[in-house]
Amino acid sequence: MSATKFTLDEWMCVELARTIADGEIVFHGFGSPCAQVAMHVAKRTHAPHMVLVEGATYALDPLPAFIPPTSNDWSLLQGAPHVLRFEELFDLGARGGLDRMFLSGGQIDAHGNTNVSMIGPRDHPKVKLGGGGGGCNLSATVGRLTLWTTGHGSGRRLVERCDFITDMGHRTPAGSRAELGFPGAGPETMITDLGVFDFPDGRARLRRLFPDVGVDAVRAATGFALEVADPLEPMLAPTEAELMAMRAVDPLNVRRSEFGPAELARTFTASGATLS
Amino acid sequence: MTAPRKTADVKLCDLSQAGALVGDGDVVALGGGLSHREPLALVRELIRQRRRDLRVVGSAHGVDVDLLIGAGCIGAVEQSYVGFEQDFGLAPAYRRAAENGELEIRETCCYTLLQQLRAAEYGLPFIPVRGIIGSDILGLHPEFTEITCPFTGQRLIAVPALSPDVALIHAPLADARGNVHLQRPLVLDERFAFASRTVVISAERITSTDEVAAAGITIPYFLVDAVVHAPFGAHPTSCYPQYTYDRQHLARWIDAAADPDGVRDYLDAYVRPGEDHYLETVGKPALQALGSYTESAERWQELMVSGPAVTERV
Repeated sequence: MSATKFTLDEWMCVELARTIADGEIVFHGFGSPCAQVAMHVAKRTHAPHMVLVEGATYALDPLPAFIPPTSNDWSLLQGAPHVLRFEELFDLGARGGLDRMFLSGGQIDAHGNTNVSMIGPRDHPKVKLGGGGGGCNLSATVGRLTLWTTGHGSGRRLVERCDFITDMGHRTPAGSRAELGFPGAGPETMITDLGVFDFPDGRARLRRLFPDVGVDAVRAATGFALEVADPLEPMLAPTEAELMAMRAVDPLNVRRSEFGPAELARTFTASGATLS
Repeated sequence: MTAPRKTADVKLCDLSQAGALVGDGDVVALGGGLSHREPLALVRELIRQRRRDLRVVGSAHGVDVDLLIGAGCIGAVEQSYVGFEQDFGLAPAYRRAAENGELEIRETCCYTLLQQLRAAEYGLPFIPVRGIIGSDILGLHPEFTEITCPFTGQRLIAVPALSPDVALIHAPLADARGNVHLQRPLVLDERFAFASRTVVISAERITSTDEVAAAGITIPYFLVDAVVHAPFGAHPTSCYPQYTYDRQHLARWIDAAADPDGVRDYLDAYVRPGEDHYLETVGKPALQALGSYTESAERWQELMVSGPAVTERV
């Protein structure tokens, strides 16, 4: 096998893309370049029949020449045969017609609840984050959720308890999804800069690791008691086709804006070796 | 009967007359979203007129809300998001005011807001929505009430109808009577126009009714109270097909808004002296360059990365 080099941001986007099944109707939120790039990679590789709805233009199946740094831009309408109305997209989500959506958070807990609203106390937040967009309705009704965060290694992202729950995972202090009457299945997969989690019984469980990371490092960076699959699954490197699709759709490297310098320096080869 | 203002043959007015249709304490719906077609000429006029205690409502927004907060015009924020995405991150003035407890945070959710506007359009006092239960967004809205569906027993949240006092919407094209042409994405602009009591339009170009009708009327005249001719009235956000967003100017605001002195300096330099002064200060070459995205995909990309580096921001 050729020693193709790739970076952590590329591998994470490929892992995100692989959560999409061919034929699914998929939506990403605004300000979510990793999920956005992942959707275009999936559409151009293993999921040609996915229905791709852009996050802030609601363009259907566009073929943009580049991903811009803002998500409500006409460059994201290029090649789209149709642009949905705001109402059409959100009604679709409300009646269970969206199969998958991507959600991230400044904080994420073991149940997959996410916080994009504020860190610290409600009346005097330490950090006021931007807000959740459509998540607090859609997380109840969309078929499956893929979660991601790029700051797991910082130790601040995966927490025992979110300071504020914006979007709902498998269980909130108010009850389980079944008790709250949510038709959607909730978080299915969570991808971080350290590894990939699934949610058996509604709680995050480490399932795969990036090859330059050990279980102890994940445990140290995780604020809730870490459950680990036994055995762990191997993490499969990106294919040439996936990397080519990513580099074609994101020539401005907008996905990299989600990462810090230490994560961006992590480089790998297809043989499984870690370069740095 | 409809207010006589809405059926007038000619509704053209200047920015100062349009701004006077907004009162202190009003619920103000802002059109467009994120970096796209926000009503910034009207927003700058509200700052010049020193409006106070506005409650702004909308979906995901950016520099419009941040400017109004920086200028001290806003008392409550009822948006689903305020910020600059991966581009510049958190909104500096919003963040500072929220963290200092100077604002009522009524953060909301896109679909909830849409349904509240629809309830107003349908003439209903409330509408049920799914979700929100289990989210702390519920605690920011004491008016939201859990109900049980009388037919299925499902748990739902009843949210009240929302009729904003004023909607501010920027358009590429309108006629003097208030017929408005918008192109997708429309975000919530149509819903705002139908649900709000007063509708103020600013437009890149005022033309004949025939031309607006040929392009397609998105908002019909009888909903509209005032029409202002405002070239580059969405700047520094985009108003396609005329111009893309001005990333370098947004970067200037982000830098200025890092502290209250910078905000004051920015407002004094660009906003307070008047809209003509604003456009002169930004400069004709900079404004005209924003229309050059049509030349090629390469040129469009150049405009998207003008200003500070997008990448490798923590």
